[in-house]
Amino acid sequence: MATSASTSASVTERRGIPAASFVEDVQIYLSQTGLDVNSALAFLQERLQQYRVVEMKLLAQQRDLQAKIPDIEKCLDVVATLQAKKDTGEALIADFEVSEGIYSRARIEDTDSVCLWLGANVMLEYSREEATSLLQKNLENAKESLEVLVADLQFLRDQVTITQVTIARVYNWDVHQRRLQQAAATSPES
Amino acid sequence: MQQAGASGSEVEVTWEDQQNINKFGRLNNRLHELEDEIKIAKETNENLEDASSELILTDEDIVRFQIGEVFAHVPKDEVENRIEQMKEVTEKNLEKLTEEKESIVSQMAELKKVLYGKFKDSINLEED
Repeated sequence: MATSASTSASVTERRGIPAASFVEDVQIYLSQTGLDVNSALAFLQERLQQYRVVEMKLLAQQRDLQAKIPDIEKCLDVVATLQAKKDTGEALIADFEVSEGIYSRARIEDTDSVCLWLGANVMLEYSREEATSLLQKNLENAKESLEVLVADLQFLRDQVTITQVTIARVYNWDVHQRRLQQAAATSPES
Repeated sequence: MQQAGASGSEVEVTWEDQQNINKFGRLNNRLHELEDEIKIAKETNENLEDASSELILTDEDIVRFQIGEVFAHVPKDEVENRIEQMKEVTEKNLEKLTEEKESIVSQMAELKKVLYGKFKDSINLEED
């Protein structure tokens, strides 16, 4: 069974997200960092919070991209339809929304160019081929960005899991230590 | 959401265990995403079914078919073809998603066996 990349032990961060170092032994970890249990737990909790903040941000970006991709696909569809109509030589008649709930009819004559909305109140005219290739490129970029984002999120979630498990282990170690101390204190025989 | 929580035990957690726990978490996330996607794919399928039924009932020759944000006037035959194509795409997608979901469910069952085997009560891998 393939486990996550063995290099994750040596990855210290990914695109600005610090990796959570895996704790082999709680006792050694505590003595190495020189922290007592409460400070260690506080530090880990804070790390967890920071991870959550980044996770929110990445999730928002992911939602944006996931909305953008179908939009670009719709645009490609329209351009392709115009292309098909050109081949038949007919005009395309379409009903479009003028305002909410109000539609009007439009006759789109055979034309070689389309206008693309580029954002920031800018619209440019392109030939149909250029428009298709521009939209294709945008679509591919969006899909690639989404892939990278998903990988980032996976990495982040792994770090969150590691941190949660470390918190539990430090806490348990502490409980265990207290039990041992109590047992030693209440046992009168040496 | 399923969480790997460990409680009061002395079993040591190795890097391999950690990786298994991480993998379980990832699979679980993906499972939830898949369930949402499958729901959407099923709805789309139903809508397409309804659309093609309506199409059979109508006696108009020109149907307003939504392309992008506008409703283009398209001859009925072409609309039928388009809807058929869209149905095929959605069905294939649904199949792919269902397959992925089954694979994930079985991987998660495997991991559960391994992790419960080592940690028994110290770990909780169930949905709350």
